[in-house]
Amino acid sequence: MSSALALRSAHDSAGPDRPDAAILAGVAAIADGPLAAAAGAIDQGSYPLDLMGQLAEAGALGAHLDRHGARFGLAIAAMQTASRACGATGFLMWCHDVCGLYMEQSGNPALTGAALADHVAGRSFGGTALSNPMKAFAGIEPILLRATPVPGGYRVSGMLPWVSHIGEGQYCGAIAGVVSAGETITHEIMFLLRCDRAELRPCPHFSGMEGTSTWGLRLDDYFVGPDDMIADPARPFIGRIRAAFILLQCGMGLGVAEGSLGAMHAVEETLGHVNQFLDDRPDEIAGELADLHGRVMQLARTPYDGATDYLIDVLDARAQTSDLALRAAQSSLLHQGARGYLKSSAPQRRIRESHFVAIVTPAIKHLRKEMARLSREVMPA
Amino acid sequence: MSASEPTDGLGPWRQFLCRACGLIYDEAEGDADSGIAPGTRFADIPDDWVCPVCGVTKTDFEPYRRRAPAALTEVAPVPPRRRGVVIVGAGIGGWSVAEAIRSWDADIPITVVTSCAGDIYHKPELSVALGRGLSPEKLLRETGGAAAARLGLRLMADTVAVGLAPERRRLRTTRGILPYTHLVLAHGARPALPLGLDPALCWRVNDFTAWAALHAELARGPRRVAVVGAGMVGCELAEDLARAGHGVTLIGAAGLPLPELLPEAAGRRLLAALEGLGIAYRGQTLVRGLTRAPGGDVALALDDGSSLAAQTVIAATGLATPSRLVQAAGLAFDRGIAVDPQTLRTSRADIFALGDCISLGGQPCRFIEPVARQAEVIAYGILGRPHEGYAHSAPVIRLKTRSLPIEWHGLPAPGLAWDVVEESGDRLAMVQRRAGEVVSRLVA
Repeated sequence: MSSALALRSAHDSAGPDRPDAAILAGVAAIADGPLAAAAGAIDQGSYPLDLMGQLAEAGALGAHLDRHGARFGLAIAAMQTASRACGATGFLMWCHDVCGLYMEQSGNPALTGAALADHVAGRSFGGTALSNPMKAFAGIEPILLRATPVPGGYRVSGMLPWVSHIGEGQYCGAIAGVVSAGETITHEIMFLLRCDRAELRPCPHFSGMEGTSTWGLRLDDYFVGPDDMIADPARPFIGRIRAAFILLQCGMGLGVAEGSLGAMHAVEETLGHVNQFLDDRPDEIAGELADLHGRVMQLARTPYDGATDYLIDVLDARAQTSDLALRAAQSSLLHQGARGYLKSSAPQRRIRESHFVAIVTPAIKHLRKEMARLSREVMPA
Repeated sequence: MSASEPTDGLGPWRQFLCRACGLIYDEAEGDADSGIAPGTRFADIPDDWVCPVCGVTKTDFEPYRRRAPAALTEVAPVPPRRRGVVIVGAGIGGWSVAEAIRSWDADIPITVVTSCAGDIYHKPELSVALGRGLSPEKLLRETGGAAAARLGLRLMADTVAVGLAPERRRLRTTRGILPYTHLVLAHGARPALPLGLDPALCWRVNDFTAWAALHAELARGPRRVAVVGAGMVGCELAEDLARAGHGVTLIGAAGLPLPELLPEAAGRRLLAALEGLGIAYRGQTLVRGLTRAPGGDVALALDDGSSLAAQTVIAATGLATPSRLVQAAGLAFDRGIAVDPQTLRTSRADIFALGDCISLGGQPCRFIEPVARQAEVIAYGILGRPHEGYAHSAPVIRLKTRSLPIEWHGLPAPGLAWDVVEESGDRLAMVQRRAGEVVSRLVA
């Protein structure tokens, strides 16, 4: 018994229980080595599960979980480090991180035991299908998955157009509206969706980040039982994890901006004499990046703060990471000139990555709409 | 290619919207990629057809009704996106600064950011308008759009200032990031609701929009109204509501209304005047909670264990300055945005503040009188014109209760005794003295 425990803890300390500096150093070694080398191929469609496995082994994919110290700042910093080499991989880390968050916060023993340990260790992989329900909760679009109560659970049908970091043997967190008699939705359920019991349909091609294993997901009378239930009803659960969900995303934008800054610095010696005439010079971007990073790290100390002011702070920081990533990527290509415009170059890839950062749910426009809503005073109807 | 007008007798060609990706299937156009000919009715498309962009099925489409384009706020044609003065707030403070700048400088770009429509009204009228039968239209003096055109500035209505980077001189808003040379914070204060008062069940009257919505509710006919809080706004509103024909209960924390400003003798006169209008005063009472009762009434749970039912509840429980924006930006804040008492600059020299959102020496001053003088000082500061500086003095305070108007000269000092200097059936004058000097005087 004691030897089994000792073995387990020795195994864990090799992963997300390692000290912050050790995890970040491990991630940096992957980012600057194999990930930087693979970034172009990932952009074109190669799904880097091997590298995700290495990142998990380094401890990068579970540091934010309660069981590993709720180190959200570290999880974001790890995502930033990877994203400076490859935005698509940063996005996959976010997908994987929030899926782990759903599993742990569900409190469901069937999801928090071996399943979560495998997830954190990179022995299994899963993402998130909450783009549609998040927009549905904000009144932006209707909810696409519908659930009907049946003995022992629910049956879910519907189609989600694009879900990332899924595939054979994988899974994702999903939300369906429960339809009672008539067509009214009484509440929503959140569950872990097993891809093997769903139909994965190829998506049209995107302009980049094709290696994120993004599929259309079709459910036809898909059964959800208690073992896969994350939350029923889903809304209070989403309310609790919402700020954490959005805050974690900041790692992507910060990383794309940081990578762009590196590309500007790389040509400063040779092209500085003309680049000095450009807007958004490296010093400016570096200053803003440092400020924003500091703010995100501050917010990451209290990811479950339920105050409205805190949520607005998180949305504001997330919107700012989009803005900074867009400006930094744009400026980085202008700084690099023709070499940045080469098909194989990182600056042109980061332009598309920065666009992704700005349009992935929550997009800049959604964030602004939500901040406006949260700022309004509630009055009697 | 598209089909000509339909001949199947089913009306014009219709469009259907993919709820997932926003693609529109137009019956006139069909879907060439999937072999659906132009002129194919949506109902006639095979059930296994999928959205050509995102792959969802027919059932995830809905009839498409063309939306009216979003109403755009009327904006003056002038101002390009040049750096210039950005003013947050379009109440009396914000507009006063814009007016003061424009009286000296016709060209400097000004952008006004406001979470409301920016329409101009006279705020003190809000607490006396019902009894005078004034409608929202009557209270409006100028639309925000018209004022923006008149002053040649850019008005960003329905826009919230969410973040501030003072070192970079950038204001983040819900409609984009604004660089500025000078920033003026005039966003006012917000009603502070005690815990237990559900904001969805009680009105607060601190701006035109809220007043207009309350007006619409009260226009349905005489109602039983509870006013929570017997300070200046609570007393004025209670009288105004009573004059407009509503049944009013005024709930105060102390035995008499306006305990912070009125000595007992004057408080008793005010209470008698309010009661003379039919207002029921419930003193020494706190409201613990609000709930919606089955019949539609709101039930007020009181701290003595009893409860009170009202059709409309209004909270007048004081104001507080929102602190998130300025504190996150590192500006000094002390019950309000701390400003220099002479220059009205905040702890950042290029950021000014005025009106309800500021504090001078830790004291907010939420009266209308000083605002025009504050605006002038700020305009001079921005334009680099010499000015002797703002000199704060306690404004004359008037309680606009027609049943018993009360006026204060000099802010009452808490705990200092009041002496009667004149008393008759219809007039009471009292003073507070410190070392023989009169520091405050009231006439009721």
